[in-house]
Amino acid sequence: MSGFWQHLRVCVRLHFRNRMALIYGYLFPLIFLLAFWVLYRHEKVPLLRHMGELLTVSVLGGACFGLPTTLVSERERGVWKRYRLVPMSTGLFVLSTVLARYLIIVTAGLIQLGAALALGMTFPEHPVALAVVFSGVAFSFIGLGLVLAMMADTVPAVQALGQCIFLPMLIIGGVAVQLVSLPVWAQHVSAFFPGRYAVEAIQRCVTGDGFAEVGFSLVVLTLMGVAGFGAGVKLFRWDSQQRFAKLPGKGWLLVPLGAWLAAGLLAEWRGVSVVLRDERAAPAASAPLPTSIPEPTPTPAPTPVAAPTAVPTPTPSPTPTPLPTPTPLWASITMAQVSSLSFDVPPDRGVVAPFAASDEEPDDYSATDVETVRRNIATWKPGLVPDEIQAVRNYLYIAAVPDAIQMPVERFLPVVVFEHLSETYPKDKLIKILTWIALHPDDGKVLTSVSDVGIAGNVGDTWIVRERAYLYAIKFIARLTGRVTD
Amino acid sequence: MSAPAVEIRNLRKRYGAVEAVRGVSFSIRAGEIFGLLGPNGAGKTSTLECLVGLRDPDDGEFEIGGVDARKNPQVVKEKIGVALQSTSLPDKLTAREALVLFGAFYRDHEPVDGLLARFGLEEKADLPFDALSGGQRQRLALALAFVNRPSVVIFDEPTMGLDPRARQELHEEILKMKADGHTVLLSTHYLEEAEKLCDRIAIIDRGVVVATGTPRDLMAGSGNRQSVVLRCDRAVPRAWIERLPGVVDIAGGEADYRLTTTSALQTLAALMPLLAEQQVELVELQVRKTSLEDLFLQLTEGQGQ
Repeated sequence: MSGFWQHLRVCVRLHFRNRMALIYGYLFPLIFLLAFWVLYRHEKVPLLRHMGELLTVSVLGGACFGLPTTLVSERERGVWKRYRLVPMSTGLFVLSTVLARYLIIVTAGLIQLGAALALGMTFPEHPVALAVVFSGVAFSFIGLGLVLAMMADTVPAVQALGQCIFLPMLIIGGVAVQLVSLPVWAQHVSAFFPGRYAVEAIQRCVTGDGFAEVGFSLVVLTLMGVAGFGAGVKLFRWDSQQRFAKLPGKGWLLVPLGAWLAAGLLAEWRGVSVVLRDERAAPAASAPLPTSIPEPTPTPAPTPVAAPTAVPTPTPSPTPTPLPTPTPLWASITMAQVSSLSFDVPPDRGVVAPFAASDEEPDDYSATDVETVRRNIATWKPGLVPDEIQAVRNYLYIAAVPDAIQMPVERFLPVVVFEHLSETYPKDKLIKILTWIALHPDDGKVLTSVSDVGIAGNVGDTWIVRERAYLYAIKFIARLTGRVTD
Repeated sequence: MSAPAVEIRNLRKRYGAVEAVRGVSFSIRAGEIFGLLGPNGAGKTSTLECLVGLRDPDDGEFEIGGVDARKNPQVVKEKIGVALQSTSLPDKLTAREALVLFGAFYRDHEPVDGLLARFGLEEKADLPFDALSGGQRQRLALALAFVNRPSVVIFDEPTMGLDPRARQELHEEILKMKADGHTVLLSTHYLEEAEKLCDRIAIIDRGVVVATGTPRDLMAGSGNRQSVVLRCDRAVPRAWIERLPGVVDIAGGEADYRLTTTSALQTLAALMPLLAEQQVELVELQVRKTSLEDLFLQLTEGQGQ
């Protein structure tokens, strides 16, 4: 066994001497993490909702690129041929190699997690479950990497083969693009890839209920991992002269393919391949949003105050500003509360909650959308509900939904909404309603589509819509109170 | 007589439609240097790779130190040291680390410092593999072959690509191995190397052993024949040469011939009047005892060597 441990040590040591391996193994995941952090920097708990994707991408990179590239490169150069002359079994060589890779992936994951914590992320809800699930994900992907290494004859071939797995998994496999944003057909397809199970399982450990929710994903990942390892060991090649095309036993490839197929069919049979919208929103909304909104001072209990969820929502009325109760909730908002809001929001020219400047002109395509909304907004039914807070909230969704979908017109619609609100509500009242909304972002109904005002599209994740509505509420208040002039 | 250190019987290896090794058999006595000599593509490397476990033979039996190498490859690997044509290691692995790593694969192994000293690698011990010269890499390959205190050392074309000085050093090292009691099996296509180092030689051609013996026996087996190199100013009919007394083998043609004869005196005595009569001028004439090279060329005719 001393050969096993010595080889394991050497594998890890050599990894840290390889500059490119360090860049791809550690720097890239950190860059990816920073990119997410920049994109979602306004979140009070940044990155928490994205750890599933971030950690999965790290494991994918290390297992499906790092491992096979190293293996194939060493095989091409004759290193493995020399290893074959020693009296250590293939199984032990494979085990020490993959164990070394596992340790490398774990360190990359820990660094990524540590950086996320340093950037303000809260500690994962279920760290033990996360460790177990992360190991399961690594096991599954390392098995896949082993198969790739045995299939590819050269380093360029392994890179090409890796991309063939990596890119579909990122784009339609639920890794880089969340399932909520994928069309139904792509969700069906993603059920046959390990990526979505990895993301789901890790995310459930970070923001969900941990082991209670990851059973199916763990089973699938383990199945895929065992199949990959089995095929990898059976197809193991020591010598670059043994070309894959002439290799006997290629039927072993059917084992991992069968595992992927079985996973997809099992998901279809269980009816879990397509994730319902409410389910998708649930884990995300449960963690970061309640803590993401600044609570400047204890809000004096408005009297009489009904619980936010108990706010009556009468049937739509044709009058724009109905008063459902004699003392509306927003009336209790003080200017001190307005002042204590955090106005540290993404810039107007950014990609999150953008806001067009007054001298900005939309292009022809966007101009048509803007005109349509201008024409429809005054008679848009959700804006006419008797509950004024909900009505204003609904107007905010006209800006929030296109922003969440990242439509070209997104930056111009806040201007339309802001102008309409300014014309519809007295300034002080509007400031208080918006402040109430900003202080209670989880309250009321959320709209995931504003197609009836003339903007087509649908947002799967209600959390994003609420978040963007909150940001626009803050931006509107900033303009109304003179903190921002345009 | 003691049991052979290495014994190969009827080894066969096929690559698709090509049978690279066609029933190779030979045995090596303990403590001798045995050379596998043959042109490129003769089947030397395939034979050695089957023997050391890098390839699965289609048929045949082989024993190393009395152990069936096909049934107990791991046991055999403990007993042998191997240096391939070119040994490659991870670029950033140092010579010292390589010796520690490979030593750990064996139950019994040499101390690393001793190996570094023996193979002149002390000063380069902590340099990564990619910083070593070709000669230093070859010395490291030799050190790795000795890391497990092998009884049999196997080299595949050990001096290929080395400069004359490095080749000379390696020759000395191989002779020292014999002096230390090791059995050495080496493949080479350098005749002078085989003649200089080997106690016995097997000449292999197109996957078959065509001759085995000591260099002296092989040459003696040619019956004290002589080699005649003949170059004329114009073509000489082959029929004239074939009719000369003593000629047993003819290579070449037109104006250039290499003859093997049992009596150079009789052959030349008959040839000279013939040339004079036809007014053919001699440009070059050499007579010498048959060398290993001549024998090799005779036995491997058609392989371009």
